[in-house]
Amino acid sequence: MAVENLAPVEKKEQIEESFVYLDDEIEKSHSKLVVKDVNGWFGSKQALKSININIKPNSVTAFIGPSGCGKTTLLRCLNRMHEMTTGAKITGEVLLDGLNIYDKAINPVIIKRRIGMVFQKPNPFPTMSIQDNVAAGLKLNGVRDRNLIQDIVEDSLKGAALWNEVKDELDKPGVSLSGGQQQRLCIARALAMQPEVLLMDEPTSALDPLASSKIEELISNLRERVTIIIVTHNMQQAARVSDFTAFMYLGELIEYGATNQIFKNPKKDLTERYISGKFG
Amino acid sequence: MTRLLDIGLDKIKNLLVDMSILSETTVNMAIESYEKGIAIRSKIFDHSEKLRLLQLEIADFAIELIARYQPVATDLRFLQSCLDISYGFMRFGRYAYDISEVLETIGPSHKCDTSIVSTMALIVKDMIKLSLDSLRDLDKDISPKLYVMDDSVDSIYRNFLRKTFKLDSEGLSTTITINDMKCYMSTLLILRYLERISDHACYIGDCVHYIVTGDPTPRK
Amino acid sequence: MIVMNSEKNNPKNNENKQYTDKINNYIKKKYKRRIITNKLVTILTIISVVVAVIPLGSILIEVIKNGSEAISIEFLTQKPGALGSGKGGIGPAIQGTLIIIGLSSALSVPVGMLTGIYLSEYSKNNRFSTVVRFVNDVLTGLPSIVIGIVGYVTLVLTLGSYSVLAGAFSLSIIMIPIIVRVTEETLKLVPNSLREAGYSLGLSKTKITLNIVLSTAKSGVLTGIVLAISRIAGETAPLIMTILGTSLFFSSFTGPVDALPLRIWRLASQPYESAHSFGWGAALILIVIVLFLGVGLRVLIRKNLAKVEM
Repeated sequence: MAVENLAPVEKKEQIEESFVYLDDEIEKSHSKLVVKDVNGWFGSKQALKSININIKPNSVTAFIGPSGCGKTTLLRCLNRMHEMTTGAKITGEVLLDGLNIYDKAINPVIIKRRIGMVFQKPNPFPTMSIQDNVAAGLKLNGVRDRNLIQDIVEDSLKGAALWNEVKDELDKPGVSLSGGQQQRLCIARALAMQPEVLLMDEPTSALDPLASSKIEELISNLRERVTIIIVTHNMQQAARVSDFTAFMYLGELIEYGATNQIFKNPKKDLTERYISGKFG
Repeated sequence: MTRLLDIGLDKIKNLLVDMSILSETTVNMAIESYEKGIAIRSKIFDHSEKLRLLQLEIADFAIELIARYQPVATDLRFLQSCLDISYGFMRFGRYAYDISEVLETIGPSHKCDTSIVSTMALIVKDMIKLSLDSLRDLDKDISPKLYVMDDSVDSIYRNFLRKTFKLDSEGLSTTITINDMKCYMSTLLILRYLERISDHACYIGDCVHYIVTGDPTPRK
Repeated sequence: MIVMNSEKNNPKNNENKQYTDKINNYIKKKYKRRIITNKLVTILTIISVVVAVIPLGSILIEVIKNGSEAISIEFLTQKPGALGSGKGGIGPAIQGTLIIIGLSSALSVPVGMLTGIYLSEYSKNNRFSTVVRFVNDVLTGLPSIVIGIVGYVTLVLTLGSYSVLAGAFSLSIIMIPIIVRVTEETLKLVPNSLREAGYSLGLSKTKITLNIVLSTAKSGVLTGIVLAISRIAGETAPLIMTILGTSLFFSSFTGPVDALPLRIWRLASQPYESAHSFGWGAALILIVIVLFLGVGLRVLIRKNLAKVEM
C-alpha cells in the first residue's frame, strides 16, 4: 500500500505477542515509549514530579487520576505539545524507540508526525471539507501526489470507522458531521500522518454514550495499528479499553500496571480509594 | 464519604452474618442430635432450606450490585467472594441435613461408640467458628490455621476408612452384629460429611484471604 | 430496587410542601405587576426603535427623492460644467473616490492584517505589543482633520503638490487601526484547539496561521475591511488637506483628484439651485457605492460561510 513510503510500519510480530500482564513484563519487554525522570512545570508550579513509565507497543495505556493530577500534562509532554504553552517547562527524557524526542538535534515537527494526538473536543478545521480535513496534514506538509492523498484519506477514514458513513459526501464540511463523527474524523486526520503512537486526551468526554462506545470500539481495533495512550476521567472506560493503567495523583505516578490488576487488586491504598470512588 | 455502593455492601454483609449464624447452629444441631440420639430431621431440613434461599438472595444481590455500580478493587473481590462464601454456608446446612438423614435412616446411635465422631465434631465446630471469625474481622491469617486443622480432620477420616475396610475384609471371621454394621456405616458417613464441612470452612478462609490481599491462594 | 427504597416517607417532604406554598404566594402577588412592567418595557423599546429609524429613513428618502432627478449618464461620466450652468457631471469625483478607496485599501489591508496577525499570534503579550495596541487605540480615536494635516505636512509639502497618494496615505491611517483591531479580535476568537490540532499534525506556525487560523477567521477579517472602507468612503476633512479636489479626471498619482464627499461639499456651498441638485445626486451615488461595496463583500463572505454551514 502507498502508505508505506511515508512511515516505517511497526514490526508486525509485536502484535502477535501475547498479552502478558505482569509487572516484570512491562519492564523487560521492548517499549515503544520510555519516559525517564520527567518533570514538568507551569510557571513556578510543578505539574509533574519525576515520572518514569514504559509504554508497550501496540497496547492501550490509560492515564487516570483526579482533575489537576497532571495526566493531561504528561500526555502533552509525550509529543512536545507541553512546551507550546506559555510558561511551560520540562526536564527529563522521553524515548521513542530509543530516540530522545527532547534531543536538541531533533525537529519537533517530525516528532509530532510520528506521535499523533486527538483532543478532548472534536476540532475539525471548520473551513475544510471532510476530505480536506483528513488530507490537511499531508497537503500542508507538502505532499502533492493526488492519488497518494486519495488512498491515504480512504485508508484513514476506514481506520477511523467513518468511511462507510461519509464516503458519498467527502466534499461536505467537516463540521456538518455529528459530534461522534467529528471526533472520528479527527482520529482519521491524525491517522493520515501514519503515526506510530496516538495520544488521546479525554476523547469521549464531549460525546454521548453511544458515540463514546463507538470510539471505544475503535480504540480497541486501532491497537493493531498504533500504540495508544488515552487520558480519561471515566474509570469504567479505562477498565474497558486499556491494557495498562497508570494512576496519577498530585503530579506523581502512584501506580502503573496491567489494567486487570489495577482494577481488581491495586497495590497502593491511594489507587484503591480513587478507583472505588472513595475520593476524587 | 458514603457511596451508594456502600449501602448495598452493608446489606449484603448483614445477610452473610445471618447465614453464618444460621449455618453454625444448624451444624451444631446436627452434631448434637447424633451425640444425644435425638431425631430433629425436619427442623434441620427447614434450616438448610432457609440457607439455600439466603444463598440465592445473596447471589442475586451481588450480581445486581456489580451490574449497577461497577465495583472495583476490594469491593469487587468482596462481592465475588460473597458468592463463594454464601455457597459454603449453604453447603454447611446441606451436610447437616445429610447427617440428620443418616441418623433417620440407619437409626439412633446410642449403642455406638460416638467418640471418634465427637473428636472430629469438636475440631469441625472450631473450624466453623474460626472461619466465621476470619470473615467477621477480615483476618487473612486464619486461613493457614484452618488448613492445619483440616489436615487432622482428613487423617481421622482416612484412618477410620482404612479401619472399616480392614474390618470388612477380615469381618467374616470375627462375629459382627447388625448393630455394629449400623454403627460403622453411620459413623463413616457422618465423618465423611464432617470432613466436607471442614473443607468448606477452609474455602471460606481462602475467600477472606483473597478479599484482603487479592491473592487467590491455590486450593489444596 | 432493593438498595434505594429506604428513604420514602421522608418528613422533609412536608416541609418542602410548606415552602412551595409560601413561594407560590409571593409569586402570585408579584405576578400582576410583572405583566404591566413587561408591557411597558415592550412599548418603550418599540418607541425607541421608531425614534432611531425615523431620521435614518428620512435621510435616505430625502437623498433618493432629491438625488434621483440629477442622475443621468452624463451626470455619471462627465466633468463638471461651468459654474452654475447645471451642465456636466461628477465623473471625476466617482473615479477619484474609487481610486482612493482602492489605493488606501491596498496600503492599509496588508499592514493592518499583518499587524493584527502579529498581535494575536506572534507577540506573547510582551511590552512591545502592549504599546502597539495602545497606539493603535489612540489612532482609532484621532480626529480625521488631524490626520489630514499630517498628510498635508508629510506628503503634500514634501512632494510639492496635492496628490492622490497623500489622500490615500491619510485615509489608510484611518483604516489601519480599524483593520488591526478587528483582525486581532477575530483571530483571537479562533479556538486554540484548532491551532493545537495543526501542531499535532506537525505543521509549522506559518502554515497554521495562514491556512488554518486565518482561513477560519476570514469572514471576520473581511467584515473589518468593509467597516474600514465604509468609514473612509465618506471622509471629507483629510481630503481637503491632501487631494484638494479638481474638476478634471485622474491624471497622475502625484496630481490632485476629485472625490465624492469633497464634490458634495463644494456643490452644497455654491449658491445655485442646479448645483444643489447635483449635490443630492452625488450624495446618492456615494451611498450607493458604500452600500454596494458592503453588500458585495458580505455576499462574498456569505458564500464562504454557506460552504461551512451547509
